[in-house]
Amino acid sequence: MLRFLLRRLLWFVITIFTVMTVSFFLMHSVKGGPFDGERKLDPVIEANIKARYHLDWPVWRQYLHYVGPFNLDDDRALAARSGSGSIQLWRSATDAGEPTDAFGGVLAGDFGPSFRYKDFTVNEILEQSLPISALLGLLSMMFAIALGVSAGIASALRPGSGLDLSLRLAATGGIALPNFFIASFLIILLVFLVPLLPVAGWGRIQHMLLPGFCLGLVFAAYIARLTRTGMLETLSSDYIRTAHAKGLSSRTVVLRHALKGGLLPVVSYLGPATAGILTGSLVIERIFFIPGTGSHFINAATNRDYTLAMGVTILFTVLVYALNTVVDMAYTLLDPRISLEDE
Amino acid sequence: MADDASTSRWAIEDDDLARLTKEAKEFRGESLWSDAWRRLERSRAAFLALLFLCAFGTLSLLAPLLPIPSPVALSLRDEPTAPQWMWSAPEPPPREPDKGTSATRSVANLWNDGWRHRSTVRFDADSQAAATGVRRRVADLTGRAAIAEIHAAESGAELDVHVSVPLLESDRPRVDPTPTTFTGIATAWLVEGARAVHSVSLEDADGTSFEAASVAGWSAETRGRSVRLFLRRRTPTAGRADWIVEYRLRESLDAQPATIVLNGEVLAGSEPIGDGPRTRAQTVDASLFEGLEHDDLGRRIEASLAADPIEGARYVGTRHEDGYWEFKGLLAPLDRGLRRARIAMFGLWQTGNWMGTDGQGRDLLARIVWGSRTSIIVGIIASLCSLLIGVLYGSFSGYVGGRVDNVMMRIVDVLYSIPFIFVVIFLITVVNEYRTELEDRFGIDREKIFFLVIGAIYWLTMARVVRGQVLSLKNTEFIEAARVIGASTPRILLAHVVPNVLSVVIVYLTLTIPAVMLFEAFLSFLGLGIEPPKVSWGLLAVDGTQAINPLKIYWWLVVFPAAAMGSTLLALNVLGDGLRDALDPKLRGKH
Repeated sequence: MLRFLLRRLLWFVITIFTVMTVSFFLMHSVKGGPFDGERKLDPVIEANIKARYHLDWPVWRQYLHYVGPFNLDDDRALAARSGSGSIQLWRSATDAGEPTDAFGGVLAGDFGPSFRYKDFTVNEILEQSLPISALLGLLSMMFAIALGVSAGIASALRPGSGLDLSLRLAATGGIALPNFFIASFLIILLVFLVPLLPVAGWGRIQHMLLPGFCLGLVFAAYIARLTRTGMLETLSSDYIRTAHAKGLSSRTVVLRHALKGGLLPVVSYLGPATAGILTGSLVIERIFFIPGTGSHFINAATNRDYTLAMGVTILFTVLVYALNTVVDMAYTLLDPRISLEDE
Repeated sequence: MADDASTSRWAIEDDDLARLTKEAKEFRGESLWSDAWRRLERSRAAFLALLFLCAFGTLSLLAPLLPIPSPVALSLRDEPTAPQWMWSAPEPPPREPDKGTSATRSVANLWNDGWRHRSTVRFDADSQAAATGVRRRVADLTGRAAIAEIHAAESGAELDVHVSVPLLESDRPRVDPTPTTFTGIATAWLVEGARAVHSVSLEDADGTSFEAASVAGWSAETRGRSVRLFLRRRTPTAGRADWIVEYRLRESLDAQPATIVLNGEVLAGSEPIGDGPRTRAQTVDASLFEGLEHDDLGRRIEASLAADPIEGARYVGTRHEDGYWEFKGLLAPLDRGLRRARIAMFGLWQTGNWMGTDGQGRDLLARIVWGSRTSIIVGIIASLCSLLIGVLYGSFSGYVGGRVDNVMMRIVDVLYSIPFIFVVIFLITVVNEYRTELEDRFGIDREKIFFLVIGAIYWLTMARVVRGQVLSLKNTEFIEAARVIGASTPRILLAHVVPNVLSVVIVYLTLTIPAVMLFEAFLSFLGLGIEPPKVSWGLLAVDGTQAINPLKIYWWLVVFPAAAMGSTLLALNVLGDGLRDALDPKLRGKH
């Protein structure tokens, strides 16, 4: 287990560094920079802006500053001459007693200032928007699992029946139809024709139901498929027959014995599903005007707010990578036949 | 011994031998493909899906032939129109068209015919008779059906006549640059770091230099490094347009030419050269072209009216409107042919707005059909991109094996665990900054970037699957045999391994196409994919969601695009599943 984790960590570090480095240098290779507008700025103002975002530094220094973990902006913390004249490498406060910001950059969890939201750092934007997105994602994941697993079990219990066929058709439809169309349908249906839910906004539970449902539907369809296949396989195995023969009730057999084996494929799908929900949230947050990370990311991408876009990309990469690792570990715990060392 | 042989129980008559040989020769084994086809035919859902896709694909390929309204014709009225549903009573337009200015009024009326692929010739006429005369003249001259719209002009008693005919390729004014014997050099530099000066000296083959006095003025067009100077003739000549000087600088000067010097003379309309410091000077070869004017519709009508005037009619101008964006490459000649065929078959007739119109008065049916074209093209080409990368990567990794395989597959695993769409969106935004440059230098436009980017993500599954297949094939006898007779690795891969993994590849290709089409719709929805005026299903979805409002439900803007996209993706998925059942070796013989 430890070896597995260490290896994962190594690849993780490599991945993150590649993503970070490539996107950083791509961003800096762009001609003109993010502040080029239609109007030419006054040179003094331009110099000020550049100094504010350190665009006047050589690229390598900007890169080191961005990656961290040391804050190159604060000279006072690193290698300053102390009062007695000797060079002091590390200080937590200046001689005058002001505290210094020694750490900074991505490694220290600081994504820098946003280029477009002038008074915000990327961290502040993420702090505001991430809980919203996380809530939405969690809700839709719950929708997906609840709906998908129950539909999968229902159709696996009576394969070939009308219920099974209609559920399978619905699942195929759910996979084929993009979520923005589903969202549009449901808005027309549940907001305007039958006014049950508010159309957009954020704050109350009613606001979250529709987006969560739309976002989770595709994954519910996949999960239903996986559950059905897994359950069919398990239900035909010997130990289920034994359980039936022992005289256990069908409910106990299905819920306590079959479900555990039948859900294994679903567990391994949770990693990709998380990535998919993050992706889908881009569209859903836009349709329902939810101020989450996804809509900030799209705004950043279209407005050339590179630091914000990079911050979201890196954050989500970390998130998905961590979740994938957790899912893999959970999988081995649930299914002892699979060992992580085989990987 | 001979007798023994003939009496043994294995002996066969010569006739029998001949018959058996013949039978053996005529026996056709069942190939994998014919077997798969039989299975596919038996699976009814997959076969129906295949038929549906073929029909839909043909329909969208033949879009220019269909007599449907234009997908991009914007309403040129000042105000946005509400989406209309043809089968119910139309909502009254926000303003009566007749109360507009002369221009908006006539456009509004012309717009209602929906046919935008046409040339419109405008005349001023004094009387109804003159108006009829010009319409007849245009019809005679072009040999095409001409429709005239006549409006009272705002000033005086004159009539405003718009005669429209279906647009042909030769109607548009065009200048063909024809090479001349004049060549020379162009020198370009910056003065004071801001003003670009271009100095051109041109000589004929026998040494006579080009007459700078015959040039009345100039204009310039720079795209990245390539420069075109248009030199206006002092004496206008029929059929001859400006002279064109073309050259390509070694590095772009980032400034429009302010001064043009031709054979030592500063041309009219230039700024003075000035004495400031000169930087970034460079000299390149240049050549002169003569712009030959092509006999377009407007010119022909003008000439005809000059030769044989119609009493009381005056030619004003010609306008050409395209009903759709031009396709480039392979589709262009096909589209031209189809368009001509449509004009020959249907003339100006077209269907009504059977599926309603959108918020800008565009026909929804036409937009769905043309959008399907974009989406299908993107789906197919990007899938082929991913196929190429995935098959090469996977087969190489699987075939070489060992440490290389380990590292290559580890890279795939890592890429799998990145939420790729965020990286891709970031990449697309950054690449967008280089759009003009890429387009100029390598001819890569946004769609090609799109293909490459999608191809670069979707190869992962393909690579994994192909590698698995190759691993199981690697140690089979026929590969061993090929290796023994000394075939090279690429040859074994391409000639023996790849054909054998083809069936799996085809299955995954059919499953990749819908995924790619979804992704295209997804990016277009976010405003990062296909750009207007082109249409794709993602953009239709944007229109649909934007039209949602509590006052009036424009359901057709959501239902029809969703139905088109959903049914196509569903059919592709069903077909993919059916193909997998038909081709998967594991399931073979189990039916």
